[in-house]
Amino acid sequence: MGEDSVVIRFENFSYSYPDTPNVLVDINLKVEKGEALGIIGPNGAGKSTLCKAMNGLVPHFYGGYINGRVIVAGMDTLEHTVAELSTKVGLVFQEPENQLSGLALTVEEEVGFGLAMLGYPREEIKDRVREALEKVGLSGLEERSPFELSGGQQQRLAIATVLAMKPEIIVLDEPVSLLDPIGKREVFEAVKELKKTGSTLVIAEHEIEELAYIADRVIALNEGRIVMEGEVDQVLADVEGLRKITVEAPSVAQLTHILRERAGLEVNHYPIRLEEAVKLYEEVLRK
Amino acid sequence: MSTLGSRLLRTTIIGKDTPIHKLDPRTKFLYFFWISLLGYIFYDFVLTFIFLVVNLLLAVVGKVVRRILLTILVIIVPWIAIAAPILSLPLGFPWNETIIYRINLFGMELPVYQEGLGWAITWPLRIAVTISAALLFMLTTKLGEIIALFFKLRLPFRALYMIAAALQFIPLLADEVGTIYQAQLSRGLKTKASIVRRVFNFLALGIPLTLSAISKVQIRAIALESRGFSAPVEKTLMYELRFKSVDYVFFAAIIFFTGVLAYIYITMGYSPIVRLRYLFG
Repeated sequence: MGEDSVVIRFENFSYSYPDTPNVLVDINLKVEKGEALGIIGPNGAGKSTLCKAMNGLVPHFYGGYINGRVIVAGMDTLEHTVAELSTKVGLVFQEPENQLSGLALTVEEEVGFGLAMLGYPREEIKDRVREALEKVGLSGLEERSPFELSGGQQQRLAIATVLAMKPEIIVLDEPVSLLDPIGKREVFEAVKELKKTGSTLVIAEHEIEELAYIADRVIALNEGRIVMEGEVDQVLADVEGLRKITVEAPSVAQLTHILRERAGLEVNHYPIRLEEAVKLYEEVLRK
Repeated sequence: MSTLGSRLLRTTIIGKDTPIHKLDPRTKFLYFFWISLLGYIFYDFVLTFIFLVVNLLLAVVGKVVRRILLTILVIIVPWIAIAAPILSLPLGFPWNETIIYRINLFGMELPVYQEGLGWAITWPLRIAVTISAALLFMLTTKLGEIIALFFKLRLPFRALYMIAAALQFIPLLADEVGTIYQAQLSRGLKTKASIVRRVFNFLALGIPLTLSAISKVQIRAIALESRGFSAPVEKTLMYELRFKSVDYVFFAAIIFFTGVLAYIYITMGYSPIVRLRYLFG
């Protein structure tokens, strides 16, 4: 990993909320430019806190106790305000409705809100809004009220609000956890499109099957510590390792694991995506 | 968002393309002040009623008359219906002097006084003028335009945001009430109960609603902070306020009628129509 290409760096980072100790413990992590990092782990593992540490909400908004440091796009999060970091890191939250500014009546205004807060010229805001809406597939809905959109559309709108800021890093904190299957598909499609554009993505997610298609690398958190780290194919295929921290591996990996354990299936590596599993089992059946 | 909240939000957003909608918010705000002030300068229910009619005509043009009329009727009619019989009869109003009619009530002949009746009608009408003008402004002006207007008037941005966010937060809470109510009903909350029981029921709704509201406010604050809300720079307003020809026509009308009404005030006093002898004896 070349040092020049590292855009997020956690150095011996530990954090405690004012009322909850050791939410993150001794985190050392590097994310390269253009990389998609998946964060998995059980509830309460510290995934959201880790995401919030990337844009400075931890500790600027929450207070608490901090050790070590986080460098994002060359900026120490402790030395820069959340507003300053907002042009470097865009954070998409779980609940789409709560991300709406409350000041915008239309989708267009909502997407432009962050830029307006930072004092960008009106013409540039309009251009960026158009561009961001195109990227998430919401073009044509500019004049609609954000509150009239479906859950999936609202979450894509939230992503657009982040894209309009043109951040170097986009952090998504369980962006589909409150959406129905259609909404989830819409959001994942938008995220996959983002990945194609070479954006640096960090995505905390329980939907491990989808993460297999998005992430290049995955870390697993448990009780605030990184307990697994590696390439996506390596981490998500570690069925036993994931089970220890109460995370279920992708179904195809689990199936292969069970067949290997019970039926003696001979495989070198567990598939984590459906297509890989189909290919593997075609070969097995042919044999 | 589910039913009630989105319905409430949609009803606060009336995006029509009428001459009233096209007016600059500053013009509409000035009109609101102007007509309300006139309503209080003249103590004349006929003239005040004319002001109200003007407001309603503008509301017709702005296609918002139904909602304004409904609001006015709900507020004003009961007020007049209660105040008029009390104030216009003897002992109802200390300045009663001019008898305009006599009515027979339970065998007693009672005088109806102009002063009391005038007060009972004029004040509700004055309020109606103010409310209708305010609603005309609110219902035909986008929130962003209102923000831009107050920003131009040098109100602090944070204060503006608080007001605007509160307006949009009410529908969200309305939805939350619905969800909590259904949850509590599912857990055996009794709706048909004694008053004391209902007070406890209210707590069963109020406590989770308060906690949920606090949580939502915090999440929204975080989201805003993440989007540069507190950046120490001059904010860009999404709406550019600019006077158009329709605004100048409106200004001209305001100036013209200000002149006419000033003349009337100087020559005929603050009750120019109700004091016309051929109308009210």
